Amino acid sequence: MAAVRLLWSGLIVKETYETKVEQLKQIIEKIEDGTTGLDESMKLYEQGAVLVKQCELLLTEAELKITTLSRDA
Amino acid sequence: MDWFNRPEVTVVTGKAPLRVSELSVIIEELLDNPLLQDILVRGEVTNYTHHTRGHRYFSLSEKGGGNTTAVIKCVMWRSDAEQLSFTPDEGIEVIATGTVRAYAPHGSYQLQVKEMRKAGLGEKFLLVEQWKSELRAQGCFSLERKRMLPPYPTRIGVVTSETGAVIHDIRTVVARRYPLEIIISPTAVQGEDAHREIAHAITRLTGRVDVVIVARGGGSFEDLFPFNHPDVVRAIVACPVPVISAIGHEVDVTLSDLAADLRAATPSAAAELIVPDRMILIARLKELQLMMSTALQGRIARAWDEIAEMRDRLRPQRFRRKLEEREQNIADLSDRLERAFSNRIGREKLILAEMKTALDSRSPVAVLARGYCVAEKDGAIVRRTAAIKQGDSIKIRFYDGSSQVIVERVDCERDV
Repeated sequence: MAAVRLLWSGLIVKETYETKVEQLKQIIEKIEDGTTGLDESMKLYEQGAVLVKQCELLLTEAELKITTLSRDA
Repeated sequence: MDWFNRPEVTVVTGKAPLRVSELSVIIEELLDNPLLQDILVRGEVTNYTHHTRGHRYFSLSEKGGGNTTAVIKCVMWRSDAEQLSFTPDEGIEVIATGTVRAYAPHGSYQLQVKEMRKAGLGEKFLLVEQWKSELRAQGCFSLERKRMLPPYPTRIGVVTSETGAVIHDIRTVVARRYPLEIIISPTAVQGEDAHREIAHAITRLTGRVDVVIVARGGGSFEDLFPFNHPDVVRAIVACPVPVISAIGHEVDVTLSDLAADLRAATPSAAAELIVPDRMILIARLKELQLMMSTALQGRIARAWDEIAEMRDRLRPQRFRRKLEEREQNIADLSDRLERAFSNRIGREKLILAEMKTALDSRSPVAVLARGYCVAEKDGAIVRRTAAIKQGDSIKIRFYDGSSQVIVERVDCERDV
């Protein structure tokens, strides 16, 4: 078994990228919702901006990992 | 038979002559026989022509014992001919799949060929056909069991040869689009034992990945043969995660392709189908960011509106107007009070005057004024003669005064 560098394990994709994008969508919906206060909307926006940054990092800094299984396994 | 009155043939046979078109229809119906539908025919290609429109016309012939020859005309329409994996030529032995049809304009019958293979591969080809129908009957190719690919795969399993371009192609595409973990499950992809190895390589990935690519570069029908083997097909069907196949060129459809959840034209295409493109994801992210900014700007604009409205409501003019309104109100009320009061007084005065008139009409003074008198004894009004007797001193009251008199006599005229 030859593991080439460790990088962006797929787990991060599922647990963070996907959920982060989901959170981002919820934040937008909340801001659009007329009942959310301005103060809260600003806080949500800040949170959203952080999520966008994190997602961008996840996508741009990702690297490939290749593992080859043993043929005898 | 009467020499002079020789009857028409129709009269003799009792049948009307058929029109050619009617005869053609009968022949066409006869050829609808299931024995002539979707059949495999082996023969030698002769009179091969490649029509400019792309259709292929030829004959399949078979030399029998002695000098006997059997021939059937064949046509392969362009759409089917484009799928041919070889270029047919004069004299080669082929196995054709097709249906016999009458072609009325030429008064001939012909085999409409859907698929054609070189006869050297005949035995294996027939075996594949047999496996195909068996596996189909077992539901291995049914559309209901096709699964959706995961939107964000985490680990991709690749069943292929360690050498060769396949793994390189997949790796290049994945690295560019959306880097994640590739787990290679190496296997021989051709040869006598390849089917067992491939099936094992698929099974080995169980629990390690969430999507599997089974791939092989292009090759001959024989090269791709292991991917038709039921062992491989069953391994694909049994695989707990979706399987995407990219075996050979697009024209070569193996049974593995039919069993896979999705078929890709090439290994690169398989990778593209599996991994999202991060450029697209980044673009999506930018869109979300923009949506969020727009939402916040909208929220801020709404806040401004709210403030403007409140400021408007707090303006002194507004307040003064309110005061004036109230003052006006009070003036109105006081007016109404006054009016109501004077009305009431007037009404009361009227009532009082009426009462005074009524009172006056009943006053004893008025009666006295008309000439009546009232007798009083000891301050009480005398109503009956029984109340007085001779010698009593009583008071007679007149309208304008009174006098004290002595009763001389009492005459009672009526008992009441």
